[in-house]
Amino acid sequence: MRVLAVEDEPDLLGSLMKALREDGYAVDGAPDGEEGLYKAESYDYDAVVLDIMLPGIDGWEVLRRLRKTRKTPVLMLTARDAIRDRVRGLDSGADDYLVKPFELPELLARLRALIRRSASQAQPQLEIGDVMLDTTARKVSRHGQEVILTAREYTLLEFLALHRGELVTRTMLYDHLFDENDDTLSNLLDVHVSNLRKKLGHDFITTRRGLGYCIE
Amino acid sequence: MIFNSIRWRLQAWHGLILVAVLAGFGLTAYRVAQDNQLRRIDQDLEQHLMALLRPRPPEPPLGRFPGEPPGELPERPFGRERGPRPSEPREDRRFDSPDILLRMHEMVQQGGVLDASQTNTFYYVLWQGDGAIVARSPGAPDNVPAPTRVGPPEPQGLQERDAFGKGPPAMPGPGMLPEARTRGQMREAFRFLPRGQCLLVGRSLVPDLAAMRRLALWLTAAGATVLLLGLAGGWWVATRAIRPIDAISATAVRIADGDLSQRISAADTESELGRLAGVLNSTFARLEAAFAQQARFTSDASHELRTPVSVILTQTQTALSRERSSVEYREALEACQRAARRMKALTESLLALARLDAGQEPIKRECFDLFCLAHECIELVRPLAAERRLQIHCDVPPMECVGDAERIGQVVTNLLTNAIHFNRDQGEVRLTARAESGAVLLTVADTGQGIPAEDIPHLFERFYRVDKSRSRIQGRNGLGLAICKAIVDAHGGSIQVASQAGVGSTFTVRLPLKSC
Repeated sequence: MRVLAVEDEPDLLGSLMKALREDGYAVDGAPDGEEGLYKAESYDYDAVVLDIMLPGIDGWEVLRRLRKTRKTPVLMLTARDAIRDRVRGLDSGADDYLVKPFELPELLARLRALIRRSASQAQPQLEIGDVMLDTTARKVSRHGQEVILTAREYTLLEFLALHRGELVTRTMLYDHLFDENDDTLSNLLDVHVSNLRKKLGHDFITTRRGLGYCIE
Repeated sequence: MIFNSIRWRLQAWHGLILVAVLAGFGLTAYRVAQDNQLRRIDQDLEQHLMALLRPRPPEPPLGRFPGEPPGELPERPFGRERGPRPSEPREDRRFDSPDILLRMHEMVQQGGVLDASQTNTFYYVLWQGDGAIVARSPGAPDNVPAPTRVGPPEPQGLQERDAFGKGPPAMPGPGMLPEARTRGQMREAFRFLPRGQCLLVGRSLVPDLAAMRRLALWLTAAGATVLLLGLAGGWWVATRAIRPIDAISATAVRIADGDLSQRISAADTESELGRLAGVLNSTFARLEAAFAQQARFTSDASHELRTPVSVILTQTQTALSRERSSVEYREALEACQRAARRMKALTESLLALARLDAGQEPIKRECFDLFCLAHECIELVRPLAAERRLQIHCDVPPMECVGDAERIGQVVTNLLTNAIHFNRDQGEVRLTARAESGAVLLTVADTGQGIPAEDIPHLFERFYRVDKSRSRIQGRNGLGLAICKAIVDAHGGSIQVASQAGVGSTFTVRLPLKSC
């Protein structure tokens, strides 16, 4: 899962990106509205965390312009908690709203819910055959037995599971699993996929040669 | 309480006054009618009395009056004489009991002034001087008490003056005034005659009392109707008069409930209520502006505080979520320190403003030298200026001033810091001071980008920022100029700004000059 954080306070942006990364997201950051809008329009993020009070283009404007091209889930951050502001945020196309100062666990939970909803998945648990994914605890079990996965393996599995039945191209995987600072080797994906097959069964992930992967 | 409303009170007063007026009017009308009735009855009785005392008309040449009883014929007072009546004592016979009796008899029998039908209502009683009843009409009650003479007996000579001989008089002469009394449901008029007898004419008041009762009933009914109409009219008028007040209070309630944008619609500002509405509206407008300003200030202040709190919260939560290296802990702590410093600066600014607003710490009146103050301030900001390779020029002559040196120093430092921040690299800052018409003019000029004209009116507002992108990075909270203005205002001075795009801005502080 790849998310974009747009926040002008450097210390806040830094800790936010760190926390998101440690929660298994590929994270990009933007210190102002212009860069935030550019990135949000350029990549297909799974979610955007957007501050409202931004230098240059403010959060409202970023949201308004972004909504013309993309329906990326957006979580607005604001230091104002007037109801009018919340209503305005939700009415302008924001998917959720969080008032500063916020608790990190709440932000992460809301983000998970946003991503799940955008994949039309209401349940935090995903069941694929005998494999069970708990997106809240980020744990996977097979036949009731917990399977230990690395963070990368888990995010790869979660992305494929959320797009179950769809063809997931290698480009999509690169876009969603790695942030702009990752300089991943092209065969790294194949390594992760083969590790997942070893742990969850060989037929769990099918390969469409030359196209990508799919979980049926 | 509904009965505490003005409308109800107006209605109650209106009702009371209406009832009083109607009652007064009704009672007066009743009394007047009663008096009239009584007077008419008295006149009637009097007429009967006169008729009984009137000399008998001359008899026809032959025979008797038709219907005259065939019995004893009393002597006729005027006989058959014609021509001028001789003035003889015979005339006095009309006061003789037999004569009266005869006339009484005649009248009862044949009418005249009385017709027979009235005998049921009218009755006559004649007493002799010793109080014994001489005669009474058939309808007279049994126990009519003899009237008692109050005044002295009427002198005989008065008879000369009465004009009975020449037709019935409209009014009896003064000496002939009968007395009247009301006895139970009877009205009786009586006269004491010269021979000591007393003649009484009475009638029952029953039909009159019934008429009066009917009148009273009518008056009551009419009064009640008028009262009801008056109350309804009063209610209508009160409602109409109070409607604008209701509108005003309804609007005031909505405003009290928090909707400060409400206004009273003042349809006719000429009236008293229209003027009141106008005054209230302008008060509400000022209230709304004050509230809006307050709300904006609170919102801005909370915003300014929330951001550093968020930094501290996320930094600590991230740092504590797992074991970290000492470098990571140090980074987190440094970020927290920066946030805490920002909050410290903000709270200090807010406190300074609050104190100035409340006038808690009065402005000191101390003697200081402006030259020294200016140089102290310049020394404070010199490192900042050096960073950006700015030149600071100072043109402040030695000048003794009275004021709060620390706070004026704060103003100068703030303005200098702004001039450095918003300058171009290698630009210059110029601080000058001069005395002008009883005031000190202190100017701080920079060579920056200038301030957009639309921002100038808001420049001294709290938390107002011209360039929002640079503010936070430089750790400024948007209160600096607001504090400057508050300090200068407290000194009774003024602060202004002139700016030219691309050339720079000049802040001018005018402080009243007081020598030591």
